Amino acid sequence: MCPDTKEATTPGADAPENDSIVVCRNLEKHYRQGAIQVPALRGVDLEIHRGDFATLAGPSGSGKTTLLNMIGGLDYPSAGEIIVDGQDLRALTKSDLAEMRLRKIGFVFQAYNLIPVLTAAENIEFILRLQGVGSRERHERARAALADVGLEGLEDRRPSHLSGGQQQRVAVARALINRPAIVLADEPTANLDTQTAGGLIDLMADLNARHGTTFLMGTHDARVIARSRRHIELTDGRISGDELRNT
Amino acid sequence: MIETLRTLAPLAWRNIWRNPRRTIITLIVVAMGIFSILIFAAFLRAWADSSRDRVLTLMTSSIQIHARGFLDDPTVKHLFEQPSGPLAEALDHPDIAHWAPRLLFPAIVQSEYRTLPVTLVGVDPAREATISVIPANVIQGSYLSGRQDVRIVLGDKNLARLKTRLGKRVVVLAQAADGTLAERGFEVGGVFSGDSEIEGQFAFVALDTAQDMLGTGNKLAEIAIQVPDPDKLPAVVQALRKAAPDLDIRTWKELSPMAAAVDQMMGLIVYVWLWVMFVLMAIGIVNTQLMAVFERIHEFGLMQALGMRPRMIVGIVALESGMLVGLGILIGMGAAAFLISALSGGVDISGFAEGAAMIGAGTMLYPELDPPQIIQLSIVVWVLGVLVALWPARKAAKISPVEAMTHVS
Ligand SMILES: Nc1ncnc2c1ncn2[C@@H]1O[C@H](COP(=O)(O)OP(=O)(O)OP(=O)(O)O)[C@@H](O)[C@H]1O
Ligand SMILES: [Mg+2]
Repeated sequence: MCPDTKEATTPGADAPENDSIVVCRNLEKHYRQGAIQVPALRGVDLEIHRGDFATLAGPSGSGKTTLLNMIGGLDYPSAGEIIVDGQDLRALTKSDLAEMRLRKIGFVFQAYNLIPVLTAAENIEFILRLQGVGSRERHERARAALADVGLEGLEDRRPSHLSGGQQQRVAVARALINRPAIVLADEPTANLDTQTAGGLIDLMADLNARHGTTFLMGTHDARVIARSRRHIELTDGRISGDELRNT
Repeated sequence: MIETLRTLAPLAWRNIWRNPRRTIITLIVVAMGIFSILIFAAFLRAWADSSRDRVLTLMTSSIQIHARGFLDDPTVKHLFEQPSGPLAEALDHPDIAHWAPRLLFPAIVQSEYRTLPVTLVGVDPAREATISVIPANVIQGSYLSGRQDVRIVLGDKNLARLKTRLGKRVVVLAQAADGTLAERGFEVGGVFSGDSEIEGQFAFVALDTAQDMLGTGNKLAEIAIQVPDPDKLPAVVQALRKAAPDLDIRTWKELSPMAAAVDQMMGLIVYVWLWVMFVLMAIGIVNTQLMAVFERIHEFGLMQALGMRPRMIVGIVALESGMLVGLGILIGMGAAAFLISALSGGVDISGFAEGAAMIGAGTMLYPELDPPQIIQLSIVVWVLGVLVALWPARKAAKISPVEAMTHVS
């Protein structure tokens, strides 16, 4: 909501608990590949605060996607603690995690974010249906959400009739529709040309400023990083840098 | 639940049509399967009805009374007295529509050219007409006119075999009650048509004439009884047996075990066929749905990431299968109902008549539309189809969102 409060706090430091959307403590994740264990995260300590507009960068294989997946409750950590919006994810069943994702997380993936047989508006309404929102409210909110990302008039298009940038905008609109605690975006601009990517990052920055939505974006894209107000570096499964920037 | 269905139904419906070619092939497989099941069931029913009706309306009737021993040795040695007393009263049973007395005996019929063994039946023509359709099926001349008629009625087939004609005389030879050989000439007064077995086996003369010829007095070889309501059959038989404990009283089911077996086994045979067809359909359904799932691994991962529970993923694939199989069934049902209605006027199977008669059916089958049976079989196939498709559905639900999301097809 108000950027100044955030800038007053030090990242990862002792911010008040209720201001922390995500808390990771000594988070580890090992993948098993045949006989060998591949360490993807080796003790991550991280706090994301309400209203953050943060990027997560690092070399390929450093664990960005893995960390986003852990926070999003798509997979269980091997060790350590992870708390999202006050909930300890290790305590949740798969079904509870699905419910948690539905209510609290917005995802934007690199590509193929949308259900191909549904129109732009239906893709957004789908989330609301799962949440049990009534039909009139669904329609209105989906329209408003599409308008919010500049896609007025494209409500009835199927994804195949939208450009890559438009598809990502629909994905962003959908990620925001459940008023999530945090939006996790994994390389949201990787499949877009420079100009479209710039438009998308502007949009997300704008939504962050207007609605105070918390964003955490895994990215290699220098222009995305340039727009972020907090930048986290991951190297070999560990946090190697965490700094606030001014816009 | 309803809300979930509302959410998933349009999605499932559109998913079905993502690969129209594959969907249409699956629809055809399911439709042909259910079509064959329904047609098979209708024809089997028609066949069972035909063989039962043939038994009930040509010669056997619902119940027959004989002297003990007659069925093993059907000659004048095993006759019984005309009904009187308790048996006559029992024959007045309200569930007995009609009954007719007969004197059956083995005989030789001689024409100018040929000799033929037949079963000669002495009948009371008026009574016979109430329990058998043969008196009405006279195609040349006329049926016997009374118990003293002196003519003979032959089957069409035997007329040709004997190389004789209407109005010509034939000689009948048979063993009389006293053991001597009785001989008597008859004018061919009528020709009946039945099916080839009946035409070849039986010839009819008047009852009094036959009794006179064999010197049997008033004795009978058989009483044939018509009981219109099949549910009443056991009670009637019991009453008759009680009234005449010394006589051999049997129902058509005991007299024609083949026709009775067909009648009884029919349901089972239909279900055996249903399973055979269903296995073929199931291969098609599972194959289609597995392909549909593997093509959409990424999508199922996405849906899970968005907060859809694994159970709902199962639900959506099951719903797709339900729609696919259901639609196929509707098409097959429609086609089968159409064909059965079109054929309900009768299908001539005289091309296979010899074989058909052997297994006890007439030359015409009348398949009938039986909506409760159609609906029941269709529901069975539909439920089974959805059940086998749960396997691909569970596969879809087991897809881990993390792996699926890296799987970009
Ligand atoms: N499902 C998996 N099975 C086995 N190993 C995996 C799996 N997913 C990731 N890894 C490994 O974990 C490590 C971290 O991978 P991750 O995808 O998180 O990196 P990343 O920073 O997102 O890389 P990139 O920039 O290429 O997307 C890598 O060594 C990777 O090979
Ligand atoms: Mg990655």
